Amino acid sequence: MTAVDGNADQTAERSPSTAERAAPDETLRSLDPRVRYVWAMQALVAAAIFGALAGGVAYVVDPDYLWVGGLVFVGVGTLTVGLALARYRVWRYQVRSDSLFLHRGVLTRVRTVVPYVRIQHVDSNRGPVERVAGLATVVVYTAGSRGADVTIPGLTPEQAEALQERLKRLAIVAEGEDAV
Amino acid sequence: MRLDVRSVPYRAGESVTRLVWLVGIVLLTSEGTDVPPTLLLAGGVVAVVALSAGYHALYYRRFTYDLGDQTFDIRSGILSRRSREIPYRRIQNVDIAANPVQRALGIAEVRLETAGGSATEATLRFVARGEASRLQDELGRRTRNGTHDPTDERESATRDDSEPLYAITMRELLLLGFVSVDLRVVSFLSVSIPLLAPSLGDVLGPTRPLLVQLSPITLGIGGVLVLYTVAALVGGAVAVSNYYGFRLTRAHEELRYERGLLQRFSGTIPLEKVQSLAIKANVLARIIGYGSLAVVTAGYAPGEGGSQSAVPFAEGDRVRTLAQSIEPFEDPEYVRPPKRARLRYGIRYGVVALGVVGLAYTLVAFTPLTGAWWGTLVLLPAVPVAAHATWSARGYAVQDDYVLARNGYLVQREVVVPYHRIQTVATTASVFQRRRRLATLVVDTAGSGGHGGQDARAVDIDADVADDLRETVERRMHAAVAERREQFHRERTESLREEPSASGTRDEPSGPRTDPV
Repeated sequence: MTAVDGNADQTAERSPSTAERAAPDETLRSLDPRVRYVWAMQALVAAAIFGALAGGVAYVVDPDYLWVGGLVFVGVGTLTVGLALARYRVWRYQVRSDSLFLHRGVLTRVRTVVPYVRIQHVDSNRGPVERVAGLATVVVYTAGSRGADVTIPGLTPEQAEALQERLKRLAIVAEGEDAV
Repeated sequence: MRLDVRSVPYRAGESVTRLVWLVGIVLLTSEGTDVPPTLLLAGGVVAVVALSAGYHALYYRRFTYDLGDQTFDIRSGILSRRSREIPYRRIQNVDIAANPVQRALGIAEVRLETAGGSATEATLRFVARGEASRLQDELGRRTRNGTHDPTDERESATRDDSEPLYAITMRELLLLGFVSVDLRVVSFLSVSIPLLAPSLGDVLGPTRPLLVQLSPITLGIGGVLVLYTVAALVGGAVAVSNYYGFRLTRAHEELRYERGLLQRFSGTIPLEKVQSLAIKANVLARIIGYGSLAVVTAGYAPGEGGSQSAVPFAEGDRVRTLAQSIEPFEDPEYVRPPKRARLRYGIRYGVVALGVVGLAYTLVAFTPLTGAWWGTLVLLPAVPVAAHATWSARGYAVQDDYVLARNGYLVQREVVVPYHRIQTVATTASVFQRRRRLATLVVDTAGSGGHGGQDARAVDIDADVADDLRETVERRMHAAVAERREQFHRERTESLREEPSASGTRDEPSGPRTDPV
């Protein structure tokens, strides 16, 4: 947990230099392309589970219908892998001067603005599949009721660390009144 | 300070009564054994009572609380010791609850809510009534000041100079009971009963000749009326027991309420901690011109929403005036979604209605159930009406200091959010919304009702307008936060200049902004 601590006087003293260092470059970025493999992998695992279930049921009903499992695997797999690729194409994030902007969602498009003043803390996670692919996820927490929703997947560990550090600094610079 | 001594017998009694079912099991299973069951039982009961009395006596000995300079300190625990310091500034609500037994004993439970975590932060079980009120006053005062400031001692007479805002009348209480019926259940039943009524007649057998004389429709309407009356009576009883003697007062930037017939509740809502306001009224309440007001703080976990109701039931104008006295927003002129949203609702409800008709027909045609499936056709003409109702209930208003959103026809909810309380702003657009260039603007606050839909949502507004609004609301939020911060620092420097001696305690940082768990 990265505590965003705010002693008013100290922040006032160091804020100019910190602000310069943390000056965000406001390009709309997409995720690391390798995240497609992570998501496709996860989609295939889910499809395999579905396929095995369907195949099992079909086998119990009539051993001749085992191919149903394969069909389900191919069908679900195509659909979910397609969704994963589309998800990558849609995903964008932007580190603006006073807020983080996220654009995502295939079926439901979501554009979220997270002001730095509201950031409570920033985590970076690396799941097992992500570790294999050499990727990491940054999770930004706010006090809002849907706080943990703000995740940025598909970053390289260096990017994730830099983003986490930068968001933390920006949150300190933007020190607001007490959040709640 | 210790808990009240009377809490020991009460807590012991409570845990013994929880074990009563064990006695029942022993009674049932010990038949036929050699040991006389009564003796065994008596021994068991004595042992259990002694054990639990001992445990709770230890709990009492170990539990101490203390009003420190900056924090409320609690030390507790028999096997694993726990020591907590809760900064006054972090306390959101202080509630007192007492059930009839506790009231007879003269004790009460005190609960402290903070924004962190999902559960109540600290519970004092139990302290004397007077001590509970004293803690509520004292914690409220220190939450506002952030520290214990002896020069503010004059404020401790909070109870005397509080200003009454609202007290529920018997008439309002009864009306509340009759309108607080879940309308969705009633409307579902009014469709399903005509369909199933004849089958019910079959099932009931002997009474069939009587039922056959009644047409499905009259039977259905009669059934709905009976159900509604029962539901209203139950609702009335619940409302009376929950809100009997409801009083809302305001003292020193703090709201305080009392309520309850059997179980008495009393709670505080610091105005400084108010995240958003919600004005709610279902269609029945709106017909007779009534509504309710809820004050949302970050203190309660989702699902505990009921306890933050500031005004359970009052005339619509009065609710609005009270709301505006807490957050001075202007009378809103709601902007409705574009007309193509109404078309969308029409299609959506049409699909649902056709589905119901199809299901009813299938049931009648392919199962032994008989009934007037065509009765459900009444839904079809209702579709455009419902679509228009949903559309006309929706709206948003963007004011200088507040953003408001209104949704829901059967239960209408207006949410008022001050800009400086906004946590995140988002627009979402589903596939169906994008087809019609619509989007939903979601303004999220730290209020705890997130799952209950307490967010301010401008649903189905034009996609471009939504994008603009997202940027506008964010800009205004930054401006509002900056302004509040400036005001806060100005007040702080002024108070430092006035009392240089107090600077030692006042200059402390306001604490980490992470959740104070």
